[in-house]
Amino acid sequence: MLIHSKMKLAEVIHLNYHLLQIISRFGINLGFGDKSIEHVCRDYFIDVDFFLEILNSYHNKDYFPQKHLQGFSVGLIVEYLRKSHEYYLHTKIPEIEQLLQRLSDSYPEETRETYQLIDKFFTGYKLELSDHIQREEHKVYPYVFSVENAYLARNPTVEIVSSIHNYSMDDFEEEHDNVEDKLYDLKNILIKYLPLPADPRLCQAVLFELFRLETDLNDHARIEDKVLVPKVKYMEKWILEHFNA
Amino acid sequence: MESIHVIIADLSQLTRTGVSAILRQFGYPTSCREIMHPDRLTDYVFKNHNTLLIISNSFISKCSSDQLRNLTARTRYLFKILIRDSGTLLLPIHTFNEIIEPEDNDKIIFRKLEKQLQGLLKPFTAGIVQEEISDREKEVLRLVAMGFTNKEIAEKLFISAHTVITHRKNITSKLGIKTIAGLTVYAVIHKLISPDIVN
Ligand SMILES: [Fe+2]
Ligand SMILES: [Fe+2]
Repeated sequence: MLIHSKMKLAEVIHLNYHLLQIISRFGINLGFGDKSIEHVCRDYFIDVDFFLEILNSYHNKDYFPQKHLQGFSVGLIVEYLRKSHEYYLHTKIPEIEQLLQRLSDSYPEETRETYQLIDKFFTGYKLELSDHIQREEHKVYPYVFSVENAYLARNPTVEIVSSIHNYSMDDFEEEHDNVEDKLYDLKNILIKYLPLPADPRLCQAVLFELFRLETDLNDHARIEDKVLVPKVKYMEKWILEHFNA
Repeated sequence: MESIHVIIADLSQLTRTGVSAILRQFGYPTSCREIMHPDRLTDYVFKNHNTLLIISNSFISKCSSDQLRNLTARTRYLFKILIRDSGTLLLPIHTFNEIIEPEDNDKIIFRKLEKQLQGLLKPFTAGIVQEEISDREKEVLRLVAMGFTNKEIAEKLFISAHTVITHRKNITSKLGIKTIAGLTVYAVIHKLISPDIVN
């Protein structure tokens, strides 16, 4: 079922509670009564079309209106991506760390060494993820903003052209690595190889969170690769074509 | 499959040889070590997980009080079998998972050992259908986990870099682990490398 603007936001949450993490990413707090999506968006100054497309593509894996999403401004897209980054680093990762800590504490002293390895592995993962995010926030996003500005102003300056030559979406595509591999490994280690879990419920809780984070990250990368990249590429092309003319 | 360390601690060469001979009849992946001095206990018994310690009464009487305390500690990774020979027993009897009596014949001894080996293997085999990695793959995995590059591994094992890559692909698809960090965790859990190497 496609989510539309006249639906009550509360209804939508009942439909799929995973969407809670999306609405919080848009800054929407609970307690919105029976207001429709349209209404809530108006209250929070949220672009309702964009909000709906994100909800729908998150809700339904087969729904991905690539062309339509590309129609939104870089500002909107990047703001959402940034909010997601924040959510991963400051909400999700600390939550998983806490669970892992409890898991490792639940093992008897003499075997704890092995489980500390898991913590260590996750710390390594966290660094990898935050490097990835830092690079996007400090290099890629400022760059795409400058491209969009030049494109919208129909003003292909020397500066923007040289900056495109210096670093373009082609480079980003190449370096944009997959941050899900380690999560995949960790899941398998917990599912298949971790001997004698002291507390199976804790193990399950960690796994549940890992699966969720992985799905979310995949979704996120899809927006970067399939929406942001082609959109900015199109603008880069326009700028380069009109520079010499 | 997880391998089991068996330590035979007995003062008599005859007993040690006899017990190892019986153990060889099992198809389990065991590595067997014979020790004749209590000091060696610390080297082998308390470090390895998943250990079956077969120890005699007369051996225990040569242990220091520290060693005795270590022996009494109950962990699920150390199974202890007492060979009851001469002298008074310095440890409570419930310290041991099994006792081999002087009058036990070879069939009984075999059964007692088998029961303990199965107990140790159980947590690792129950419910796990795992594609076995070969010994060669294990060796490659060990070196990968220790941080060696494909080229270095190739040189160490006298194989081509291409073969190393093939091994690595097979390891990843069999284990479902893609990253080096993940393989390292696997290697430590399965005692292919010691945790110290990682630290
Ligand atoms: Fe990102
Ligand atoms: Fe990314």
